[in-house]
Amino acid sequence: MDIPAKAGTGVEAPKPRAHRGRRLAPYLFIAAAAVYLLLLTGAPLLDGVWLSFTDTQLLNPTGGVYTGTGNYSSLFSDSAFVHSLLITVIYSAATVIGALVVGTTAAVAINGAFRGRALARAILTFPWAVPTVAAALIFAWIYNKDSGVLNHALSGAGLGGRGWLVDPTWSLFAVTLASVWKVFPFVMLVVLAALQSVPDELYEAARVDGADALNRFRTVALPFLMPTLRVTALLMTIWSFRRFEVIWLLTQGGPVDSTNALVINVYREAFVNSDLGRSAAMGVVGLVLSTIVTVIFFYVDRGAARKEAL
Amino acid sequence: MTSRLGSVMRGLGVTVLVALAGFPIYWLFTTATHTTGELFGGHVHLLPDLGRFATSMRDAASGVPMLRWLTNSAVVAFGTTLLSLAMAILAAYALSRYRFRGKGVFGFALFATQMLPEALLVVPLYSIFLTFGLLDNLGGLVLSDTAFAMPVAVWILKSAMDGVPPEIEESARVDGCPRYAILPQIVLPLIAPSIAAAAVITFFDGWNEYLFANTFITDERKWPASKGLASFVGEFVTPLNHVMAAALIFTLPAIVFFLFVQRRIVSGLTAGSVKG
Repeated sequence: MDIPAKAGTGVEAPKPRAHRGRRLAPYLFIAAAAVYLLLLTGAPLLDGVWLSFTDTQLLNPTGGVYTGTGNYSSLFSDSAFVHSLLITVIYSAATVIGALVVGTTAAVAINGAFRGRALARAILTFPWAVPTVAAALIFAWIYNKDSGVLNHALSGAGLGGRGWLVDPTWSLFAVTLASVWKVFPFVMLVVLAALQSVPDELYEAARVDGADALNRFRTVALPFLMPTLRVTALLMTIWSFRRFEVIWLLTQGGPVDSTNALVINVYREAFVNSDLGRSAAMGVVGLVLSTIVTVIFFYVDRGAARKEAL
Repeated sequence: MTSRLGSVMRGLGVTVLVALAGFPIYWLFTTATHTTGELFGGHVHLLPDLGRFATSMRDAASGVPMLRWLTNSAVVAFGTTLLSLAMAILAAYALSRYRFRGKGVFGFALFATQMLPEALLVVPLYSIFLTFGLLDNLGGLVLSDTAFAMPVAVWILKSAMDGVPPEIEESARVDGCPRYAILPQIVLPLIAPSIAAAAVITFFDGWNEYLFANTFITDERKWPASKGLASFVGEFVTPLNHVMAAALIFTLPAIVFFLFVQRRIVSGLTAGSVKG
């Protein structure tokens, strides 16, 4: 797994002329990036954590007073906040599973040679390249209750329209669908790249043994894909936890909080309710969730990698 | 299962997927070529009115301050690209070629930026920018966008540099290439396609970014296009076909450039996250 990282061994091997400058070199190389990240993400992050222990208000951003864990205890006794955690989990799980299933299916479908493959692949990549703001404009129009094409199609099929973005029964589904559309190409491209590393002989052997297409995928390709799929699932999950624009632009968390995911809540609490302390506490909870998911991932990944190595 | 049946199934599957993936973009284009009377008249016009396309684009460019917004977006995007690449090239070289204390921590910090919700950082950044006069300033947006774009560029470039054998550098040294010239003259030309990929992804991070733009830029003359276009969501004063034409202009460059570099972006991202 770690072979490329050792590519530098030749340079690092002790040489007669090695001196302190050589040891300092990597630090000089990373200095700008490291300082930059400290200032532009590290410091604001610490500031955010500090804010979460205060009662700071938007209109008086320096006048906050330390309130201990007050924000946190009020959050967890607030059913609206617990609800937004639930929305986040449902939204993320649905988006990740949807993107993995659609993305993997698409990758398998366009893996191998057929006429029009390049075009199919290009079109399947489009959603990923479309700026989120433009995607939100399109989906808001497609979902439009009275004039949107989706409702026109449904009533044409005798199913009747729905208020996709204004009916709390359907809004989370509609937002999830738009998100899956936007992110599945990433999964597709990653899986496609991984599929190309599957040795052809293995497929041939399975074919000779009489395995059908589905079986060949399950027994030959899937084991090769698993490490890739796990990493992709992790990235998709932590990206879903913090995805803001699609939801904000389509519903702003509504109607009646039905799409009020955590990050939407964080933003609304700060800029609509002006409660910076409480908003920061929500954000920290979200970050802790992402961290837990990441730690679990690395734990599972290591276990699975070991099992696969056996 | 016969192979003919298999290929028919595949053709069917590919067609359905392509139709679903492509439809919203087709619909963006189609909507841009119809008048609001047609769009809200109770009928669906499934085909674009190609004759009206040019007029629509022209109206969009003049009817909304689109050109100014696009210029602002371009400024932010170029700034983000330059700043990100300058730092990422150096950092990627260290990660690819050296073993040093703190390497793991630095790698983790790069990965951790992918977990940070912008919505949490936006408030502290707002007060920092307020202090330094960076609100309502495109340069401020470059600074905040780079914080999220640069780590991705580091991943892409590191994985590309890992593919360059160190022997090439050693033989260049033997041939008298000075140490400081190794990176710019030997390594960078070899990974030019990946630099292009990193440039595209950082460019469009700046081009597409909305949350920071929405929060930090209030002066309408400085709005980037993401914020300008977002202001049309749920607003029905501006004709919808103009909005869609503007969104199309905003979208096309991204689609074109991403198609060119998608492979390298993907391999860089996954390699980076597997190996930290």
